[in-house]
Amino acid sequence: MKRRSPYPVIRFLLLALYLIAAIFPLYWIFITSLKGPKEIYTMPLQYLPNNPSLASYRKLFSFSNFSTYFRNSLVIALISSLLAMAVSIFSGFSLSRYPTKRTKGALQLVLYFTQTIPTFIIMVPIFTMFSRLGWVDRTAALMLVYVATVVAFSTIMSKGFFDRIPTSLEEAARIDGCSMFQSLWRVILPITRPGMAAIFCFAFINIWNELFLAVMLLMSNDKMTVPVALNSFISKAGISWDVMSAGIVIALLPTMIVFGFGQRYIVAGLTEGSVKG
Amino acid sequence: MEKTHYRWMLVPTLLFLVLFIYVPVVRGGVMAFQHYNLFDLSTLRFNGVGNFISVITDKHISFAQILLNTAVWLIGSLTFQFILGFALALLLRKPFAGRGLYTAFVFYGWALSGFAIGLTWAWLFNGQAGLVNDLLIRLGVLDQPIGFLSNPRLAMMSVIIPNIWYGVPFFGIMLLAALQSVPNELYEAATLDGAATVRKFISVTVPYVKPTIVSTILLRTMWIVNFPDLIYAMTNGGPVNRTNILATQMINKVFKEYDYGQGSAIAVIIMLLLFVYAVLYLRIVEDSKEELL
Repeated sequence: MKRRSPYPVIRFLLLALYLIAAIFPLYWIFITSLKGPKEIYTMPLQYLPNNPSLASYRKLFSFSNFSTYFRNSLVIALISSLLAMAVSIFSGFSLSRYPTKRTKGALQLVLYFTQTIPTFIIMVPIFTMFSRLGWVDRTAALMLVYVATVVAFSTIMSKGFFDRIPTSLEEAARIDGCSMFQSLWRVILPITRPGMAAIFCFAFINIWNELFLAVMLLMSNDKMTVPVALNSFISKAGISWDVMSAGIVIALLPTMIVFGFGQRYIVAGLTEGSVKG
Repeated sequence: MEKTHYRWMLVPTLLFLVLFIYVPVVRGGVMAFQHYNLFDLSTLRFNGVGNFISVITDKHISFAQILLNTAVWLIGSLTFQFILGFALALLLRKPFAGRGLYTAFVFYGWALSGFAIGLTWAWLFNGQAGLVNDLLIRLGVLDQPIGFLSNPRLAMMSVIIPNIWYGVPFFGIMLLAALQSVPNELYEAATLDGAATVRKFISVTVPYVKPTIVSTILLRTMWIVNFPDLIYAMTNGGPVNRTNILATQMINKVFKEYDYGQGSAIAVIIMLLLFVYAVLYLRIVEDSKEELL
């Protein structure tokens, strides 16, 4: 006779406990954003808001240009991740099919090494370079830097996705008279669409979350991104946590949505190669 | 002919990397040896190792303190991220109803901004009306709220806890993927040999996932040392420099003092330390492999 193991019960309890710990801080910032300015500072705290309202969100958007910041972030993250995706489709495909082993290995090494360079190390030289070029406070210039910060890992991911597609497919297309670009465009890309979506999501999340380069390179108020705006709230006297929490929720939501879409592929991509973040 | 195509396809990516990563890295290396203050560009000149000396002998901010803080921040965060992440991966190894959904939820943390998470935890640890204070008062541990982030003795712990929270999913994802690649036959064979659960863990699981452990710990070390966002949001190195690590000190040199020379010198110090660490770490791992054989 087999004794019933207590393991499933213990496991259930531990996993439940972990889930609560993982979610509660996010729940708390969300709940705070629905409370009034007096309620959030009154102890003992309310774990469910008495009169949930969107007043702090209204305050956030009226007292600052938050809709502008949100739009800036969205435009910057969308355009740079699309660009990063496009660029890394080519480089990933090329790396996956590159005929010379030595070059291929060397290039991969460079890509992995690039992964270990943190963005805050390049922010000062980028700033001095850009001020000489007159590129400081230009959204387009910041987008170029953002593409560069994600393109190494995007290429590693994209190579991984192309590696899984047998070369016989392109060879067949070539026999049918397709050029290399045509076979990439018409035959291979349609199959790797989920993989490309994962690259886009990865790039979007990293770019949306970036703070220091944006603080360094953007000057005008109407060009600020969401993280830069939150950063400026910290130093602004009189900013209360009801408005701040609303800003945090808005900063967190887009990447959560994007991660929700790309989660399966991102996790697969992350576990394959080296990882940033 | 064929090869030329493949070469051209690499050009855009390489251009981005060279222009916006590698040229700046080299430029930063040069700036570390220049007197370069944005307030006074007329004094721009090479000053040898002057920046390094200024950073290391700073009277207001002890460099030894910053190194110690960086070590505590790293070891405290890494140890618990690893242990909890490994535990999580082990709990998730065997399938159960809803595992996919659970995993998705837990790994959400990966997508969140470190800065916004820092702000969130600054609110949780708030000295007036923070959730942590409220919970501890309800439990009878505290009589009245305390300032976790303004108390020099509690501040480091209060920034490490969120970092652990933030980093567990990474180890969870990576180790779970490795655990799922352990062939079941190995466990079956061990069971036939009469191995107990603990024995199986030590002799089957750990050796099999060791390469993943080695690489994730190395990657994560670099990442934690290079992660100023969370501390920047919560304490910005304070109170009295108790949470000031190399990375936040560099940010402060740049954002507050506009001293790009000293800021770059700190960046160079970080890169050098991590390089030495990586070499030593990999050597130790290699040696221990030989001993086991």
